[in-house]
Amino acid sequence: MKEKIKIALAQISCKQGNKTENIKKIESQVTKAKQQGAELVVFPELSLTGYTMRDQIYELAETIPGHSTTALEKSAKKTGAYIVFGMPELSEKTQATVYNAAVLVGPDGFIGKYRKIYLPTHSVFEEKRYFRPGYQTAVFETELGKIGLIICYDIFFPEVSRLTRLQGAQLIVCISASPATRRTFFETLTAARAIENTAFLAYVNLVGIEDGLQFWGGSRLVGPNGKTLVQAKYDEEDLVVGEISYADIRPTETFVPILKDLRPELFDKLKETAEKL
Amino acid sequence: MKLEPTILDLDWSEVETKIKRFIKDYVEKSGAKGMVLGLSGGIDSCTAGALSALAIGGDKVFGLLLPEQETYNAKDVEDAKLVAEKFGFKTEMIEVTSTLEAFYTSTPIFQPTDKICKGNIKARVRMIYIYYYANRLSMLACGSSDKSETMIGYFTKWGDVAADISPLMDLYKMQVRKLAQHIGVPKEIVTKPASPALWPGQLAEEELGIRYEILDLILYGLEHFMNTEEIARQLSVKQELVNKIKLRWLYMEHKRRMPLTTKIQYRTMGADFRLPRTSH
Repeated sequence: MKEKIKIALAQISCKQGNKTENIKKIESQVTKAKQQGAELVVFPELSLTGYTMRDQIYELAETIPGHSTTALEKSAKKTGAYIVFGMPELSEKTQATVYNAAVLVGPDGFIGKYRKIYLPTHSVFEEKRYFRPGYQTAVFETELGKIGLIICYDIFFPEVSRLTRLQGAQLIVCISASPATRRTFFETLTAARAIENTAFLAYVNLVGIEDGLQFWGGSRLVGPNGKTLVQAKYDEEDLVVGEISYADIRPTETFVPILKDLRPELFDKLKETAEKL
Repeated sequence: MKLEPTILDLDWSEVETKIKRFIKDYVEKSGAKGMVLGLSGGIDSCTAGALSALAIGGDKVFGLLLPEQETYNAKDVEDAKLVAEKFGFKTEMIEVTSTLEAFYTSTPIFQPTDKICKGNIKARVRMIYIYYYANRLSMLACGSSDKSETMIGYFTKWGDVAADISPLMDLYKMQVRKLAQHIGVPKEIVTKPASPALWPGQLAEEELGIRYEILDLILYGLEHFMNTEEIARQLSVKQELVNKIKLRWLYMEHKRRMPLTTKIQYRTMGADFRLPRTSH
């Protein structure tokens, strides 16, 4: 496993419902990021299709692996980069059961996927109408280290990041499609999740306007001490590359030994109490 | 939550940027050549016109002045021209009295003393002109409705509210005034009392029986799920007034939506036929 890796935050806008165009954009960003030395290139939530698909989701969703993941696997093989992107995943066993998924591909092909656990269905969000929630956190061992994947609203629930961390992820990748009115929450929570797990966190948000929703960008790479290492522009497309060194986790973990001090017995109490809310 | 005027404060530079980005993005995605809007000389239309010009360039914005004899106000015309000149967009003035007269005289049931029905004709006739220009020039119709008037339904259904996009619809009237001031709309327009100009001497606050300073805070409270008792207490107004505003807001939902149908088939307009507005 590499001790230091370069991560590109590929903050793009998407053409709603146009997978061909979006794949082209992802491919060109991967090439560009690779030229800048990036080994891992991260794209926003549902970057294959755009966030606002509504009923079109049933036409756009694909199985994983499938046509689009194959296309991006080729891109990963060609460039030697690892890629994380988001897409609507059609369950192999049904014809209209869809997940909001994050996919990780690498130079050797498909690595794994994560299905979003917490689906926002309030305010302008209607994800539970269309998606089935995932039930498993996801951590993948790669030559770039152990990578945990989470998606957008998952970040409001510390248990998702915590589980990926306890499963060994030292880098948590959060792909997102967050509208501008929620910026403050995410700016706080990205730092919080990194600190409380003494892990690196790569947050990549969508930009552009879809059905009146303006996505704010502001993608960032956060260190285990909560400091932002690199940050993309607000509101416009951007590609920024930052380097992380896993060795930096140690001094933070000794300074504030959160993982050592975890009290698992409280988790049972948490479950019990939450059920009675 | 404390209902006081400062609660309506926003970062006006950010709001300006967001609205301009929204206008530009929508015009570009639709492939339209620009925007047409009715320019009354009032705060809302002047602000919408100014923002459109700032967003896509004045050469792509067309302000239509549509006065008519009964409500003609030279100051409004002057103000409309002033803002167009300042923000560099084109205008054209069409006197719509003869069109209105044609409607009045050709309609057997026309009743001149029914000022609301008559006033609505004016708003709808203006809409026809705006859409004609938009069609003819391959442009979009830009609405000027604000959040206060939209919430209480203080507009003509399919009339002044008819548009392809309404960039100001998420801003209360007091907020539109602040934004207008921020982008440099002349002060006399910002401070001018609002009027839909449907009949002579019509003033919005007089007709509604409430000042926008209070109305906006009541609506803000309702938007944030506050109960009417608490709103009335905080604003030192009668709960009866707040209840009245709340009922008006709820009853007017029919003016804000596409026509209702009854569900007969698999997917239905306005119910479970849910598509994104813009696809590529």
